[in-house]
Amino acid sequence: MTDRQLSRREGNASAERLERRVAIAPPVDIYENADEILVVADMPGAHFDSVNVRLEKEQLFLHARCYEQTEGETLLAGARNADYERTFLVPRGIDAEKIAASLRDGVLEIHLPKSQSVKPRRIEVRGN
Amino acid sequence: MLGYLSDFEKTFAAMDDFRRRMERFVESEPETAFAVRSAWPRVSMYDMGASFLLQADVPGLREKDVQLQLTQDVLTLSGERKVEVPQGYSVHRQERAPVRFSRSVALPVKVNGDQISATLKDGVLTVTLPKSPESQPRQIVVKGG
Repeated sequence: MTDRQLSRREGNASAERLERRVAIAPPVDIYENADEILVVADMPGAHFDSVNVRLEKEQLFLHARCYEQTEGETLLAGARNADYERTFLVPRGIDAEKIAASLRDGVLEIHLPKSQSVKPRRIEVRGN
Repeated sequence: MLGYLSDFEKTFAAMDDFRRRMERFVESEPETAFAVRSAWPRVSMYDMGASFLLQADVPGLREKDVQLQLTQDVLTLSGERKVEVPQGYSVHRQERAPVRFSRSVALPVKVNGDQISATLKDGVLTVTLPKSPESQPRQIVVKGG
């Protein structure tokens, strides 16, 4: 085998490796109050630049890329080099414009405010 | 008589169902519910030549929530992760379990205990453990005769 063939093979191998990124589902908590639904997800190692939160139809899609440790010899492997990915079904009546997300200490919080029409409303009772 | 038979069959059907459920439980549980809790936090370790690099995924923890201890060649990481329901919210789903943890890692060679450093960023604890001088890789020059 010539050197050229060899290097081409290596090139292919690395290309395949790039495509095959593993994604894991981060554990989440889901809370709700009268005003909003709150999703809290554990995403250690994800940088806020890489977090992608998208609401499409009634699905909330969540993806983040983890930064990787590439140097050194691995002695003990946790689940590093895996991306985070998860999709949720969101009930109707979420104000898509006002969804806000923040990442702090590896914990992502997504606030999904309810639209005005589905919020509980207090009806005043008037006496005569 | 007919009634008796069908009752008999029903009993077996129930047992079959029970067996199926048990199988499903045994198959599915370990990698989902239990694995998350028992292996918390996830820990990785790398040999960087002159030092070891240990990374632990501790989302939501602050500096004061983790303790690191080196006893001879064993590094122990311990602490507690509390999960509090935000005030006034009801809970739909809770997968981020509160956990009290302690994980120990045996280091393959001696490290320089005075120069260990640890940082916490984006929910990842990174510990750098420089190897002691006698355990560092040494280049041996080969001389011609």
